[in-house]
Amino acid sequence: MQFSKNWLKDFIDIDLSTEIICSQLTMAGLEVDGYEDVSSKITGKDSIIKLDITPNRGDCFSVLGVARELSVINNLKLSLPNISSIESSFKDEIKVKACAEAPSYFGRTIRDISVNSKTLPLIAERLKFSDQKLIDPVVDITNYILLELGQPLHAFDRDKLRGNITVRTAFNKEKIKLLDDQELVLDNSCLVISDEESAVAFAGIMGGKESAVSASTNSIFLESAFFKPSIIRGKARRYGFQTDASLRFERGVDYKIQEIAIDRASILLRDTVGGRFSEVTSSTLKNKLPKQTKINLDLEKSNSLLGTKISKQVALRYFKGLGFAPESLKNSSISAIPPSWRYDLTIEADLVEELARLEGYDSLPKLSLHPIYKKIEPNSQSHLSNLLSAKGFNETISYSFVSKSDHDLFGEGVTALEVKNPISQNMSVMRTNLVSGLVRTFLHNLNHGQHSQRLFEIGNTFSLKNTKEVTEKNTLAGLMSGKVNEDNWKEKAKDISFYDLKGVIQDLVREFKGPCVFETCKIDFLHPGMSSLIKLNNKIIGFMGSLQPTYLDRLGLSEDIYIFSIELNGLQKNVTSTYKEYSKFPSSSRDLSFIVDKSIASSSIENVIKSAAGIFFKDIEIFDVYAGKGIAEEKKSIAISVSWQSSKQTLKDSDIDSAVERIVNSMKKKLGGELRV
Amino acid sequence: MNLDSLKKKISDLESNAKIEFGSAKDKLELDIIYRSYLGKKGEVNILLKSLGSLPQEKRKEAGKLLNNLKSDLEKNYALTSSLLNDKANLSRLGKDKLDISLPGFGSRKGTIHPVTRTIRSVCNFFEQMGFDVEAGPEAEIDYYNFEALNVPEDHPAKDMHDTFYLNNEGLLRTHTSPVQIRTMEKSEAPHRIICPGKVYRKDSDLTHTPMFHQIEGLVVEEGASFAQLKGLLNDFLTDFFGEEVELRFRPSYFPFTEPSAEVDIRWKKNWLEVLGCGMVHPNVLKSVGVDTKKYSGFAFGLGVERMAMLKYNIPDLRAFFENDIRFLDQF
Repeated sequence: MQFSKNWLKDFIDIDLSTEIICSQLTMAGLEVDGYEDVSSKITGKDSIIKLDITPNRGDCFSVLGVARELSVINNLKLSLPNISSIESSFKDEIKVKACAEAPSYFGRTIRDISVNSKTLPLIAERLKFSDQKLIDPVVDITNYILLELGQPLHAFDRDKLRGNITVRTAFNKEKIKLLDDQELVLDNSCLVISDEESAVAFAGIMGGKESAVSASTNSIFLESAFFKPSIIRGKARRYGFQTDASLRFERGVDYKIQEIAIDRASILLRDTVGGRFSEVTSSTLKNKLPKQTKINLDLEKSNSLLGTKISKQVALRYFKGLGFAPESLKNSSISAIPPSWRYDLTIEADLVEELARLEGYDSLPKLSLHPIYKKIEPNSQSHLSNLLSAKGFNETISYSFVSKSDHDLFGEGVTALEVKNPISQNMSVMRTNLVSGLVRTFLHNLNHGQHSQRLFEIGNTFSLKNTKEVTEKNTLAGLMSGKVNEDNWKEKAKDISFYDLKGVIQDLVREFKGPCVFETCKIDFLHPGMSSLIKLNNKIIGFMGSLQPTYLDRLGLSEDIYIFSIELNGLQKNVTSTYKEYSKFPSSSRDLSFIVDKSIASSSIENVIKSAAGIFFKDIEIFDVYAGKGIAEEKKSIAISVSWQSSKQTLKDSDIDSAVERIVNSMKKKLGGELRV
Repeated sequence: MNLDSLKKKISDLESNAKIEFGSAKDKLELDIIYRSYLGKKGEVNILLKSLGSLPQEKRKEAGKLLNNLKSDLEKNYALTSSLLNDKANLSRLGKDKLDISLPGFGSRKGTIHPVTRTIRSVCNFFEQMGFDVEAGPEAEIDYYNFEALNVPEDHPAKDMHDTFYLNNEGLLRTHTSPVQIRTMEKSEAPHRIICPGKVYRKDSDLTHTPMFHQIEGLVVEEGASFAQLKGLLNDFLTDFFGEEVELRFRPSYFPFTEPSAEVDIRWKKNWLEVLGCGMVHPNVLKSVGVDTKKYSGFAFGLGVERMAMLKYNIPDLRAFFENDIRFLDQF
């Protein structure tokens, strides 16, 4: 809400600079968004103050409400502008009928108005300062009252109304055309103002088109009603709009101000458009009006919570100023009934906040919180991030929502969770893995000249089961492309290969408990011959590999991209708990080279060797793999260094010789491998 | 052979050896010469073997003379050897001169995202104060995101959060506050928790991204007070910015706290909002079965990107999710 500073002077005799007023309001919880100095043709120097009002303070959506706050803060007297009942010249034929959701309804007919007259200059200027468009004198006055007192009014063209006025719930599928020409289909959760034939207004939200005031209007029917917040809440929003009226009604309008508002409007209308005024016709269901219940406050408890020493006397003064009817009870207790314009005060904690607000939050004392000893568990996620960053990976954070087309490309066919109201179609599907985010980031940086990239991200992925159940997995994924190292002045760096990727994965997986194996996999976006599943403790925890060539084409890429992904949930950290004695005797090793079929995986060769190498087996290392000249087609040569060690003695050559013999025999029997001599 | 001729031989051997040692150009040459005199088949050993031809009574004296020769030559060898070493080192030092200004060979260093760095730094402070780090799902349900936090259906307070709704009838959490509820549901008071994570709001412009990070803190203890909340946040902000910052508390509104406050810090003359906080609303404590007679609580929430922008002087919020390496490389 925004308003002219000088308008406040209609209510309080305030003589403070705009800056001080703004600071007082901000510190009282009515945040000032900013102010602008202007010069008024009528009142001279003025400022426009812009407020950002929190949803609990519906009472401050008016100049009166703001002035009331300032009156309490500055201990000033608050007075209302000239509001006296106007003389009526006839009895209204219209009868009005309130209902439980609209327990108070006031109306009056004004005949023979001159709609061609001009809005008073002060009103016009204040509306302009409040960013309110000028429409016609009648509507301008209703808008003025809305800003001044916070009570939304509505003016109907009297001659378009057919019979008496009732406030009722809408019929199912009842149609109404509103002032702004939009046609709504309502249901029985909506409230309407109805004449004897049809709905003439969407109650508390917007008037109907057919009964609207126009240039040809001769008589009006002015409405000042109270609608309960609960019946207005969410209604306008449901149809995709909000009005100044609905904004106030859904936060709560003072339920005792309707008659004052209609009187005030009548005076302004008389002074502007003239006309003959009927008596005010009204209907009030007293027992349906909001009930302000007495709240008890234990001042001692409140003082201890705030760390203050507010005396009973001071507390009573604060509450009186705010419009409460406070009462002093026994001991340190106070009881108070909140005023009719406050809907945010229902429990003791609400009164504590009022005390704190008036005391000034800044003046409340500070106390250090005592630390409590707690064992800080090492964060394994940070550890993995540090490991990757030491390996040259940049951590990235991408949006959790991806485009439908990226999901189709990289989603692994998983059923995705979708956003029903996305900000754009590019952000409509919750990611089922982190791949597309990494690829998009890679492309962005590639377009900015970064050819060698190592990226990783840790974040949640989402999948949907049985249309309702969501599984969120904390996932670590990464991307590598370009060179192993940076080129230097002595040598050019090599291109990254699958085995560079695998090296990274092996280092990562070593951080977790359990044996890790790699198995071939079928994932649409990975090259089938250059990808692998990662299994830990016999459970698939992720995948790695090179992006499929057709995907590279589709993304317009000529360089290979390597990707990995590991699901972190449920992995156990590998920590050293006990030291193991190492052997003090020398180890012996033999280099063996075998010719085997190309299709035989090195891991099966390792397994055969391990099981044949005997109890002193220590380690195995593949140091060369060769196929080509000198080796039969379909065959490859694989050179392996095997080592042995005993913890009790130095091994004899004969021990090693017999182990080698077992290995050679076993290789021949199980894999058809021939020792290369 | 007699003793005199032996003596003559010894003295010749000694002077020849010393001359030859002295003429050696390097260690390698010296060692060859050394072996020709003092090796297994060297001159000294040959002489030693010839002792048998001496009369018995002379052997002792001859042996002594030969041993003296041996130790004499060993000493001379050691001295020459160390001289040659020194000379070789000196020449290496003179020759091996690198252009030390040429760049070294190494691999690129990676980086940790400033959002992660900020979360680490915040959590680190609170962990030392005895807070547990907690996490919760990002795909939430209305109950945890709104209802249990005292935000009723259709309440205008929901407008403060432009919510993304999901096709499973859930929503993307609009704040990290649901973690408070989930934690208090699963364990008994007292509580000290800190919950970092991603949150989502349907908002996208210069100063808003549809996804961002928040850190929520909660203390539920006997005697938890507003004064403690003020003290804790003051200490935290000092720790985070590395110096005393001027801050102010002003009233605000959150449905789940009462009283509620917003914390501003003085930043280059202006007040900047950095934190929302307040005493936990009794309705929230009741919804998770905390005894409000015994316990009170306070909670606070901060925007991670906002804190990182201040700490690192980053002007544009969107840079965090663009992941440009020229940006990332600076952290």
